[in-house]
Amino acid sequence: MIKSYKLKRGLANGFIYLVLSVLGLIWISPLVYLVLHSFRDEGLATVSYLLPKTYSFKNYIDLFTDTATLNFPKWFMNTLIVAIFSCIISTLAVLMVSYSFSRLRFKARKPLINVGMILGMFPGFMTMIAIYYLLKAMNLTQTLLALVICYSAGAGLGYQISKGFFDTIPRALDEAATIDGATRNQIFWKIILPMSKPIVVYTVLTSFIGPWTDFILAKIIMGDNRDNYTVAIGLQTMVSLEFKAAYFKRFLAGSVIVAVPISILFLFMQRYYVEGVTAGGVKG
Amino acid sequence: MKYIEYMQLNPFQRFWYNFSTAMKAFPGKVKAFFVAIGTLIVNFFKGIGKGVAAYVSRFIKGDWATKLSYIIMGTGNFSKGQYIKGLLYFLLEIAYIAYMIFFGWGYMKKFPTLGTVEQGMQINPATGGYELMPGDYSMLILLYGVLTIVITAIFLVVYVVNTVSAYKIQQSVLAGEKPATFKEELKDLLDNRFHVTLLAFPTLTISVFTILPLVFMILIAFTNYNKAHLAPGKLFTWVGFETFSEIFAMTEGASKGATFIELTKWTLIWAVFATVLNYLFGMILALMINKKGIKFKALWRTLFVITVAVPQFVTLLLMNQMLQVDGAVNVLLMNLGLIDKGILFLNSTALIARITVIVVNCWIGIPYTILITSGILMNIPADLYESATIDGAGPVRSFFSITLPYMLFVTTPYLITNFIGNVNNFNVIYLLTTGGPSTENLYQAGYTDLLVTWLFKLTMNSQDYNLAAAVGILVFIVCATLSLITFNLTKSAKNEEEFS
Amino acid sequence: MKRILAMILAVLMMATLFVGCGEKEGAGGSATALEPEQGAKLKVWAPDAAQEVFKAQCQAFVDQYPDAGITFEVVVQGEGDAAAQVLNDPEAAADVFSFACDQLNKLNDAGVIAPVNTKLLEDVTARNSEDSVKAGTLPFNGQDTLLAYPETGDNGYFLYYDKSVVSEEDAKTLEGVFEACRKAGRKFIMDAGNGFYSCIFPFTGGLRIEGLEGEENDTQKFNDYNEEEVVAALEAFAKLFHEYDDIFESGEVAKIPSGFAENPKSVAAGIDGSWDAATIQNALGDDFGAVKLPTIDVNGEAKQMVSLHGYKLIGVNAQSKFPNAAQLLANHLTSEACQLERAEKISWGPSNIKAAESDAAKNNVAISAALDQAKFSVPQINMSSTFWDPMGNLGNNLFKEDAKYDTKTLTELLEKTIVNIRDE
Repeated sequence: MIKSYKLKRGLANGFIYLVLSVLGLIWISPLVYLVLHSFRDEGLATVSYLLPKTYSFKNYIDLFTDTATLNFPKWFMNTLIVAIFSCIISTLAVLMVSYSFSRLRFKARKPLINVGMILGMFPGFMTMIAIYYLLKAMNLTQTLLALVICYSAGAGLGYQISKGFFDTIPRALDEAATIDGATRNQIFWKIILPMSKPIVVYTVLTSFIGPWTDFILAKIIMGDNRDNYTVAIGLQTMVSLEFKAAYFKRFLAGSVIVAVPISILFLFMQRYYVEGVTAGGVKG
Repeated sequence: MKYIEYMQLNPFQRFWYNFSTAMKAFPGKVKAFFVAIGTLIVNFFKGIGKGVAAYVSRFIKGDWATKLSYIIMGTGNFSKGQYIKGLLYFLLEIAYIAYMIFFGWGYMKKFPTLGTVEQGMQINPATGGYELMPGDYSMLILLYGVLTIVITAIFLVVYVVNTVSAYKIQQSVLAGEKPATFKEELKDLLDNRFHVTLLAFPTLTISVFTILPLVFMILIAFTNYNKAHLAPGKLFTWVGFETFSEIFAMTEGASKGATFIELTKWTLIWAVFATVLNYLFGMILALMINKKGIKFKALWRTLFVITVAVPQFVTLLLMNQMLQVDGAVNVLLMNLGLIDKGILFLNSTALIARITVIVVNCWIGIPYTILITSGILMNIPADLYESATIDGAGPVRSFFSITLPYMLFVTTPYLITNFIGNVNNFNVIYLLTTGGPSTENLYQAGYTDLLVTWLFKLTMNSQDYNLAAAVGILVFIVCATLSLITFNLTKSAKNEEEFS
Repeated sequence: MKRILAMILAVLMMATLFVGCGEKEGAGGSATALEPEQGAKLKVWAPDAAQEVFKAQCQAFVDQYPDAGITFEVVVQGEGDAAAQVLNDPEAAADVFSFACDQLNKLNDAGVIAPVNTKLLEDVTARNSEDSVKAGTLPFNGQDTLLAYPETGDNGYFLYYDKSVVSEEDAKTLEGVFEACRKAGRKFIMDAGNGFYSCIFPFTGGLRIEGLEGEENDTQKFNDYNEEEVVAALEAFAKLFHEYDDIFESGEVAKIPSGFAENPKSVAAGIDGSWDAATIQNALGDDFGAVKLPTIDVNGEAKQMVSLHGYKLIGVNAQSKFPNAAQLLANHLTSEACQLERAEKISWGPSNIKAAESDAAKNNVAISAALDQAKFSVPQINMSSTFWDPMGNLGNNLFKEDAKYDTKTLTELLEKTIVNIRDE
């Protein structure tokens, strides 16, 4: 009896291992393909076989040395700067909004929460041209500051998950602190924030990744100012008609370079990310 | 149906029961929704009426300083010793007036027509060149007009607050209280009115960079801003609901009406499949990874989750490359001997392309589900499973009778946002198929185009700005309606099912 | 025809204007020759490949006016989306910009391009090929007017082939090309699902576009074509594509240089434009072949494949603060000497008549292939933005595996395509 149970469980586990291995292979193979071909030495944009025949670091070296037309290192630094600043501002904005919606009670709370939900349902493309001219009126177009503003201005709307997280922290804590004479400002900084590591990490991660992936709005804002491009526009340029044949391999190499730091960051922060989203994403 | 009967149903019957009750209740809910909106509007105007009355009565009862505050802001506060506050009000008024004189009013007065003077070019006999005679720039008039309206609205609020503040301080001085110092007011902002401090900055940026552009977009749907009226060369103007009737027009060939209906259908099918498949398979995978006795959990999770870290446009462009007729996928399948001729995954029939995009979307989306559900799955009380096992339930049954209902219960908000995200999922479609395979039956769209990619094409390729804006509004209506339905569904479900 | 006539009339009128002003020297006369503004600052948009050449040529322009104190900057901007960038924000756009001629009506509709200065007009019209001038001309203030300076004459596509596989004789007919490809087991690639290339199929059957018409002047006009003939051509293409479906492949043009550069080479021939010429020449070396498009057998008659042929133009921003300097610079950049220099250095085919006759152009295989093909082409001008999608769909339906290609289906397809393009 026990034996057959064990056998059954062994079979089940074996089946699961099989499924996980096959699916894991499917999931990881495009990335392996990406990495292998970023080292491909021969051929131009595409080859009609699976694995490269010769490998070299040429694509990577070209990416960082041949910067006359497509200045990847500069774009990388631009993106890093934009990502860091917009991530700091966005995180603050999200925490501020979600904290007030979760902990503070005021007249406009409910209407504001509803407005926030509704705003998220509009597709945003038509608004880009308006955003461009607003920035132009402020004399900010084609600057990195404009990108920081764009990426962090609407951040407050992403309050749901973080609000959900704050909702799970017992209100008794606040009340006890209030009795001890703490202001709401102090409660926010000294009590709630230290307990919110997971949600802070989650917010930081999501807002940090944003600037690395947006290639539409950033292009409209930067126009012809190539010095201020981000990697996303740059990589997109490399696969445009004019460049694709000659630059596709460098596009692959550039993608790997972008993916590596984000992956590392992600793997280290994964635990908090999961905690944050688990606690916050479920009660809304 | 009584509770005990309900408990005897299987999960599907329960779901169906909940679904049908919610659907039966839906018309009533919709009615209630619109009644609520109606009351809201009525109350709004009532509030304004009351506000105006109070505004007038404050003026009558006010002393000279309060009365003067109605014209020169901040006088009331200033005269009672609140110098900084008074000065701030005053400076704000100056700033607003300066804004109106130097910028706002010029656009505001043209707002009703969106401009009347068309730009022209005429030869200058001296140089032989064409000289530009600038006309009205309809787009900027619309945009800055909206900006001015928003700023004016904000200013009006501040203005009224200023009169209230002046009156209040007059009252408190009369009552013999000492007016609050600026420092005290600042302190209050960190405690009792902390929400004002916290929300001021986000509200401001959201108003300027999200709400204002949205209002602009919505208004464009009511103009004739299209390829025949491109700014700044030509003027465009208000046309009311003409654009919407154009969308629903059924003309010969690939009409916009037929395209809209077909794309709406596909958008909904896509969103349902994309959401449900990602959710189910992601959860099953998460369960497998977290099952007792499975080793290398971190490795398995990393294997899937690492794909999240690569920017989407990179993986999608790569997928596009790999799914070509001579791409990696076909080469692999041919090497394995499964097929002897490349499959056109993205560009043959509507069905194949649609299945392909849904499958690729699974590749993109499942890791997110794994990330999100892993933690929650651990929270399901283990004794629930144990008792199910004792009752002789297999893994499949306990999945459907315990895991799924529990997860649905807890993650509905996530599901809704995910669904809306998929309705607006631009990247996957645009980068993978650019909407193809093409067809002669749709206007400027292919079989895998979603409403939002169609919107993008209308803007970028054919400059049908007004049409795109109208489609945007319709997408919003679709999303809002669906969220309403789902919220109602889950509410009724939540009343019935009790877990924690 | 009417259009050309109107244009000639317009030119004549301009000429009489000059005479009327009492200018005996004619255009370019020194007495009232156009002078650049003092201290003009000009921004120039040029594609990546032409940066160096443009910088040198702009410098030469500045040196012509040593006292004017002109400064310039050349900024990278591809010609493909130049118009979109100008429309996005005309004020921030370049004073002088290079663009592909199909964007001209968008620029004109939006009123962001200033027509060619009337003092330079006569010379510009005379020195460039008739078709290239036509490509820069559109109705403006109710009159056909030259709106931009012709810059190149070769913005079209033609046949590239590997001489070691496809002989010169094979390259004369599409059947020959396909047969040679099949023998070598290598592919023929074209982007048949893209309207820019797929319009070859109906054009070869006699369909032509003739500008825009209609109330808002945004409906594509077609010639009075013979439907049977067009369908016959479509049928011939479809038949051939299906017959040779082992070697015919429809894919993005970047696959052509890629396939030539592979080891072993996977592509033997393809239809691509002059922008890939350098890369392909690099890959093929001595086996590099480029020639006008081949003929195709339609019901026993060898018909020349007809392509869509574009021109690159240089336009002057209507909002430029230094219009005279900008006009002069555009004029300089499109002069015979500059076009010749670009033909030599970066293989851009000239629109200038004399430069096109020069050895530099004639000895360049890709340029002469492009200019040869131009003779069998429809100019890519004054096209509706609704043209591309339906036309691409037409192409898709000719090669798809399960596509039917009998006369009835194709007639229906053609009719629907026309209706969709016209979008009334």
